[in-house]
Amino acid sequence: MVVPLHKTSNTIAMMEYRKEEILLKAEKINLFFGEKQVLRDIDLCIKNIVRPGVTQGQVVSLLGRSGIGKTQLFRILSGLQKPTSGTVTGIDNKPIMQGDMGVVFQNYYLFEWRTIRQSLELAAKKNPQLKPTDIKDQIDQQAQLFNLTEHLNKYPQQLSGGQRQRASIIQQLLNGSNFLLLDEPFSGLDVIMLEKVVELLLKVSLSDELKTLILVSHDIETSVALADTTFILAQEDGKPGATIIKEVDLCERELAWEKDVKNKKEFANTVQEIKALL
Amino acid sequence: MKQLFAPFANMSRKVIYLLVIGQLLVALMLWHNLSHGLIPKPIKIAENFFALLPTKVFWDNILVSLVLTLKAMAISILVTLFFAYLSVVPFFSGLAKFLVKCRYLTLTGLIFVFTLLTQDGSQLKLSLLVFGIVPFFVTSFLSVITSIKNQEYDLCKTLRYNRWQTLYEVIIIGKADQVLEIIRQNFAISWLMITMVEGLSMSEGGIGTLLIKYNKYNDLGNVLAIQLSIFLLGLFFDFLLGFLKKWLFPYTKLQTQ
Repeated sequence: MVVPLHKTSNTIAMMEYRKEEILLKAEKINLFFGEKQVLRDIDLCIKNIVRPGVTQGQVVSLLGRSGIGKTQLFRILSGLQKPTSGTVTGIDNKPIMQGDMGVVFQNYYLFEWRTIRQSLELAAKKNPQLKPTDIKDQIDQQAQLFNLTEHLNKYPQQLSGGQRQRASIIQQLLNGSNFLLLDEPFSGLDVIMLEKVVELLLKVSLSDELKTLILVSHDIETSVALADTTFILAQEDGKPGATIIKEVDLCERELAWEKDVKNKKEFANTVQEIKALL
Repeated sequence: MKQLFAPFANMSRKVIYLLVIGQLLVALMLWHNLSHGLIPKPIKIAENFFALLPTKVFWDNILVSLVLTLKAMAISILVTLFFAYLSVVPFFSGLAKFLVKCRYLTLTGLIFVFTLLTQDGSQLKLSLLVFGIVPFFVTSFLSVITSIKNQEYDLCKTLRYNRWQTLYEVIIIGKADQVLEIIRQNFAISWLMITMVEGLSMSEGGIGTLLIKYNKYNDLGNVLAIQLSIFLLGLFFDFLLGFLKKWLFPYTKLQTQ
């Protein structure tokens, strides 16, 4: 079960890890819109990464150019859309159904007619692991963690983009899924906000061993800096539809879980390598 | 001054009010100076209006019409909501679409059928009004339902809502404000129809009966005075429903800010 055990001379504790059970597996995913093939033979596998002494979730990024089919793959992985052929399974090979994964849409969609607290309550009520008596405390705790306490009684229209994003994330976290899929989470953010979102996602990924974030983005640098694995979605010469052309194991390259990873030469090389593939 | 004629120019509320009052005054002055003969001048209409206001006949008839309109509106809303909410269920969708097409049917051609189906004049008026209003309400509400973004349904799916819970959250709760908006927009239609159906059974009175009576004697001053009162009542209900919408659904106020 234990896959690689990596150690480096200067950061022994940091880079020690092993990949265990499969958390999500997509096999032979094909998607057609009429005659047009959008996705072709997509295979990807996300495993539980275990780091001794650290509660470490998984952060996977799915990179690709605009219009390549990232959002379609995102919808298929989340169970919101059925592929033309192929399967998406979770732990113990169970097929992924809609609702099995938390999804944060690109424009951070929330029920506009509900206050944030009401939206969070509705999400929490659907979480089988939460007792009704614990819901209020959980909401207050999460709101405090994500700096939203003073906005709980506001409507979504009264929040800024960043606050809406945080509310969307909390909503999905309270819903109880270990998976959180985020569609273009870095799109349209300024530098300060971008840092805050990265910090927030790291916080989420460190909250539980099985917590798995799947980021669908075209922001290569930010995604690679945050992820432990990157899948590249692109079109192969002469073949229809996009497919995963490369899986980059950032743990293996010692580029995962490092705060100042962007300063590393290997990081710049990896970004260049990915850019060349897109 | 230039701004008044510039497309999309932002004007303060005060300027807008002044503009409307100014235009109204100009229109009234033109009317006053140009009308002679059969069409009464605005002052004559105002005199008739203020003469009508303290009379019992006027208020009795207004009350009859209002009660009938509100009854018809209440029944129409219930029928509309029933069919509109269920329009997302395949079994009922065809029926809802048929109701939409019913707005092309004229009431005049159906009066005899409704007379046979109802027991008295009051029922006849009410059923004709409901039959006249429902297609317009359903049309408006179905357009609200079809314009719902897929993301609203997707969000429900990610939160593990079943189909009935999605219907409840997105359409019944989420679009409740739109119901009031539809009532507001279509109130004018029912107000328009009331004068017509009241002419069919005049024994109970009503504003339509009063209009027909004054029309019969070519009392144009009173006809226009009643039109003015119908217009003002319409404006009042428009304001009232708008106020209710903002009060009951505060988030709609935020959307328009």
